[in-house]
Amino acid sequence: MSRGFQTIRMLSRTPRSPAAFRPGWRPCNERPRLTVEWATLIGRVADGDREAFQRLFEHFAPRVKGLMLKTGASSDDAEEIAQETLLAVWRKAAQFDPVSAGAAAWIYTIARNLRIDAARRAVRKGSVDHDAELEYLVDPAEPADDVMARNEEAGRVARALSSLSEEQSMAIRLSFIEDRPHPEIAGALGIPLGTVKSRIRLAMNRLRALLDETK
Amino acid sequence: MSVMHHPPAELLAGFATGTLDAGEHLAIAVHVSGCPACRRLVRAVEGVGGSTLEAADPVPMKAGAFESVMAKLDRPPSRAPAPAAHDADDGLPAILRRYRIGRRRWVAPGVSMRPIELPGSSRSRAFLLRSDPGTHMLEHTHTGAELTCVLRGSFSHEGGRFGPGDFDFGDDTLDHQPTVGDGEPCLCLVAMTGDLRINGFFGRLIGPFVRL
Repeated sequence: MSRGFQTIRMLSRTPRSPAAFRPGWRPCNERPRLTVEWATLIGRVADGDREAFQRLFEHFAPRVKGLMLKTGASSDDAEEIAQETLLAVWRKAAQFDPVSAGAAAWIYTIARNLRIDAARRAVRKGSVDHDAELEYLVDPAEPADDVMARNEEAGRVARALSSLSEEQSMAIRLSFIEDRPHPEIAGALGIPLGTVKSRIRLAMNRLRALLDETK
Repeated sequence: MSVMHHPPAELLAGFATGTLDAGEHLAIAVHVSGCPACRRLVRAVEGVGGSTLEAADPVPMKAGAFESVMAKLDRPPSRAPAPAAHDADDGLPAILRRYRIGRRRWVAPGVSMRPIELPGSSRSRAFLLRSDPGTHMLEHTHTGAELTCVLRGSFSHEGGRFGPGDFDFGDDTLDHQPTVGDGEPCLCLVAMTGDLRINGFFGRLIGPFVRL
């Protein structure tokens, strides 16, 4: 599996400055084979394949835990969300739509929803009357998409992401996904504090402009 | 429905990462559920979330974590099913129909509101605001931010005209006096942080009654 990953890295179009990033970093604009393989495993999980589930668990559970810890969850909460996320992967595998989302992005959204639910539960003493998952759905009043429409949407999103520079995706990642304060981002990227804000804004404006256009 | 006014990108990103306050979260959820362009932006940020997850430093799970999850695989989910959506009163978006909405209360001539019960603690409050056609809202400023989703009808202020699907973001720099469009009542979802301040003598007079 790692060999496939290496090949993709070598084939990638934009030159990299590896020193700026940790070894695990891969820009979101690539759609490597690895992702396809995870999607295949999720498909097998939908058919009840426990061995495929174990591989997903071993790969993703520690990463969900790592990301949760990084974004401020306690060790116990991070562990619980990671376990629940993988349990949800098992239960929802049949709903995974490889056309509209990558496997990692799908798992990311499951973890995000469970974290919202956990925060609400903490306040409501156990009763969750709003499953966060339901709040990310398209309004049923909207016209239903067919496979082609979903494919096209996913393609647009992927193209927009691939048009971001590495610095821009890094800015979005650090600022929003990892929720790090701007001074820390300035330190991590080695840029002045004043540049952090403008870089984030530029990245988001670029995405917006590419995704706004009506068909 | 053609959406002309969208939420600021940072709020959409905050929605994609699940870090918004409950009131903001609801307002963005309602807008996004009906706006394909903003949905794509949220998907894009989720895509960055996916690649961040892939690149995250793995932290070892507790001993027995896998076995504990395996033991649950065949059990039915323990959580209660989602509450049934209440009736499609006022043609509310599906997301809103899962929230508990309080009784209508008049806040000014031609203007009524219904509070929305938000899950979890929230710095903000959310309510449905219904205004008669042609109503001039009081000139007001905010100490915090005001997020408005137009559900039906329309209103206008210096920032333009806002119709169904449009999103208006007002912060404390804004001093506006919206006018509700003619023809039909305007129904909005409003999420507010801080307080509404009504300018002028009349506003101060009725201020105590319109503390929303």
